[in-house]
Amino acid sequence: MTGPVRRSASARRLVAIGVTLIVLLSPFLWLLQMSFKSNDLILQFPPPLIFTPTLENYASLWRSAFAASFGNSLMSASFSTALALLLGVPAAYALSRWAGRGKHALSFAILVTRMAPPIAFTIPFFLFYRWIGLLDTVTGLVLVYTSFNLPLVIWMMQPFFETVPPSLEEAALVDGASTRVVFLEIVLPMVAPGIAATAILCFLYAWNDFFFALILTRTNARTAPVAVVNFMNYEGWEWGKIAAGGSLVMAPVLIFSLAVRRYLVSGLTAGAVKG
Amino acid sequence: MSGKGLVDAERRRFNRLALAPSLIVLFVIAVLPAIYLVVTSLTPFQLVNPGSSTDFSSLLRNYRLLPGDPRFVNSLWVQAKLSFWGVLLQVLLGMLLALLLHTQSRVVEFARTLFLIPMVLPPIVVAIIWKLIYTPDIGPLYYAASLLNVTMPSLTSSVDFALTAIIIADTWEWMPFTFLMVLAALQTIPEEFSEAALVDGANRLQIFFYITLPFITPILVISGMFRLIDSVKAFPLVFLLTGGGPGSVTEVTNYYAYLLAFDFNEIGYSCSVTIVMLLLVVAVSLGVVWMGRRREAMA
Repeated sequence: MTGPVRRSASARRLVAIGVTLIVLLSPFLWLLQMSFKSNDLILQFPPPLIFTPTLENYASLWRSAFAASFGNSLMSASFSTALALLLGVPAAYALSRWAGRGKHALSFAILVTRMAPPIAFTIPFFLFYRWIGLLDTVTGLVLVYTSFNLPLVIWMMQPFFETVPPSLEEAALVDGASTRVVFLEIVLPMVAPGIAATAILCFLYAWNDFFFALILTRTNARTAPVAVVNFMNYEGWEWGKIAAGGSLVMAPVLIFSLAVRRYLVSGLTAGAVKG
Repeated sequence: MSGKGLVDAERRRFNRLALAPSLIVLFVIAVLPAIYLVVTSLTPFQLVNPGSSTDFSSLLRNYRLLPGDPRFVNSLWVQAKLSFWGVLLQVLLGMLLALLLHTQSRVVEFARTLFLIPMVLPPIVVAIIWKLIYTPDIGPLYYAASLLNVTMPSLTSSVDFALTAIIIADTWEWMPFTFLMVLAALQTIPEEFSEAALVDGANRLQIFFYITLPFITPILVISGMFRLIDSVKAFPLVFLLTGGGPGSVTEVTNYYAYLLAFDFNEIGYSCSVTIVMLLLVVAVSLGVVWMGRRREAMA
């Protein structure tokens, strides 16, 4: 049925792709439609194909403590992204221009920190935070998220720096500019799209975290993913609200993913391709 | 000559300055916790008993307890089943999907992005999605079954189906990853190969088995291993769908370590469970690196 031979899409193949897409995305669409239904409507079977959508679920969610959790998620993801970029971008540049022997070992070590199961970091972080009073704070979350975003920045930015022709830098150096000036004024502007893509991926990884936030926060710094689950456990089975909460948590992810469509592939398979 | 030397020295100083902050931070937030984990795994540390955190009287006590702990042994077995079926289904279905979408057309290129949605969703949202599907009163599956006059048991609280329910959700979430990798591999196959085979009278199936498959086998293995490494992280699904139950049917090692540390307060013992898990992950990672090297050597 398939093969590398016929590259242009036949009508039959397009239909097959369409059907597969609908089947695969149906669980996702099910959540979405539920978020616009009242609880009575949710329990109604067979599900009505046409119904008057309500925004009540979203509205009541926004009036609850969920709004604050959403703010916590935004803050911890943004700050950790900024911190990881600030530290990681110069490091990635140095690594990309460095022909030293430790380069591959260092790259592998950086990769390993990304592969370790989160529980390995959670126990030490939990005890340490308990000791110095960082439990249930946004600062604490920012530090943890930086621990997995920094390796990502270093991994993702290196190829971008490698595309900058060294001759450009050499010319500036000959004219007497310092490496710092060359980096800030010549190289950085050239990799700006790469920085934007990396920033969005960092934001997404931090935003998507559930495990760290579950253990390291209680009420003050609770993030949106934890708030949705909490909602499920303590405020009964209000399915409409749960679906609306889930939809709100995934909204920024879907918007950003579309924005970085081109870089998404290299970021999601980071390491996989280069390993 | 000396001018060049000066530039080099300046460059080296810059490199050091640029790398140092990252290395220090990585040391503090990754290496120190790792050391702490190893050290604590050698103690019987319990939160209720602070003095036990520095009790090194019986270094390997935790590790000696592991083989005799039925819950730990069971968790490894559950993890093995989850990983095996999850990875197998993801590689197989991801490959089929990639073959289906390996074609040139603007519409299809846009569709590819939509196929990635399950993978980019926050894992907890994936868990919520499947929770809504697996809950009897509101799930479409149970309604469909009732139309066929079949009473379906609640999947996530059934001993027979709970793990399968998680495997299905995990496969749905991660199939796009193998799809993406296989698609990239398919695009590197030179077209002349299959054209030549067509001229020689080969049919599509033969082309697939003799040309396409050998080409993509390495990427199938590598993406499978990457999924294998990540499959130990399947926390949100277990947490939200089954809570490790019924009994401990879906209690994977990661979840058991979590319960030990944060429900039973057995920090030291939980650290030793985590270390065993880490060693397994590192072993697979080294396997991936080794395979990558071998591939490079062959190419």
